[in-house]
Amino acid sequence: MSDTAERDLIARCRQGEDGAFRELVDQYKGLVFALVARTIRDPSRAEDLAQEVFLKIHRGLPYFRGDARLSTWIYRIVVNLCASERPSRDVPLDAGDEERPAWEPGGPDRAYGDVELRDRLDKAIRRLPAHYRVLVAGHYLRGMKYEDLAEALHLPMGTVKTHLHRAKRLLREMLEEPRPGSEQRTANSE
Amino acid sequence: MTCDQINLRIDAVLDGDEAWTSDARAHLDTCSRCQSRVALAQGINRWLPQLPVDTPPATFTSGVMARVRRERWRAEQALDAGFNVAIAAGLLLIVAGVAGLAWSSGLIVVGADVVALMREAIAVTGAEIAPQLPTYSVAALLLTMGLGVWWWTEHANFER
Repeated sequence: MSDTAERDLIARCRQGEDGAFRELVDQYKGLVFALVARTIRDPSRAEDLAQEVFLKIHRGLPYFRGDARLSTWIYRIVVNLCASERPSRDVPLDAGDEERPAWEPGGPDRAYGDVELRDRLDKAIRRLPAHYRVLVAGHYLRGMKYEDLAEALHLPMGTVKTHLHRAKRLLREMLEEPRPGSEQRTANSE
Repeated sequence: MTCDQINLRIDAVLDGDEAWTSDARAHLDTCSRCQSRVALAQGINRWLPQLPVDTPPATFTSGVMARVRRERWRAEQALDAGFNVAIAAGLLLIVAGVAGLAWSSGLIVVGADVVALMREAIAVTGAEIAPQLPTYSVAALLLTMGLGVWWWTEHANFER
């Protein structure tokens, strides 16, 4: 959506046009729902929370000054709302993953290994701390730029990159975890 | 160069934010563990953007709009209630004013006993409230400040 079209849409929403707000919801529901679903651990809460995000947007639009892009502002609302979600509501994580062997590159069936890696990665993301989950979801799954993430989170861009590197290192460490009882892989001199 | 030092840099190097030093390259050429970690990191980089993205249900937009309408209706109800209270208070004032005017012009006669009783009631109530007045004032001030801070934080959260 171009800047002009976005400003026009916001102006129409502020005038109380229900049709304009419906357009806004249609425009951003994919982003909001994907971010919320990836950030919270209980998928059954995703729809309710994503709707709550849009209610906050509706209440907040009269105060939106337009200094940041609308998507950046919406991302910040998602982050704040997910952060306020009580951790006790998180459902237990899928323990089935622990039964699988650690990922090994160049195995006999690389295609199968890749698909397995994708599945395990999908689950490992849910085990990341919430602040890393929302960053990974924003950057890698929804294609948000470092600059927009930094602006939304009020962090320097370098810090955003460092957090993303740490998140990926954590993911690697989770995927490297050997299954219980399996042989320790040989390690080179450290 | 150790495996741990390599491990800390893998993602920054793969993202193009850093480059391997010659020491690191030499270590990577001979260390199968680090090679495996780099391969895993590359796999993660390859798959992250391709992971399935959750999509909202078809009824999502209508659900949001229904909640928006419900919230607006509640706000209007609160506004209506406030308006009704204000109207009732206004009517009460008018009635009291008219009664007072009628009494002062002699159209309504109120016995001296009733007037004395009302004066006494006002005096007793005033005497009971007077010692607590500073407490009530401070409480009212704190409440006002609290509401002010709440309003300010809500307002600040929505700005930008």
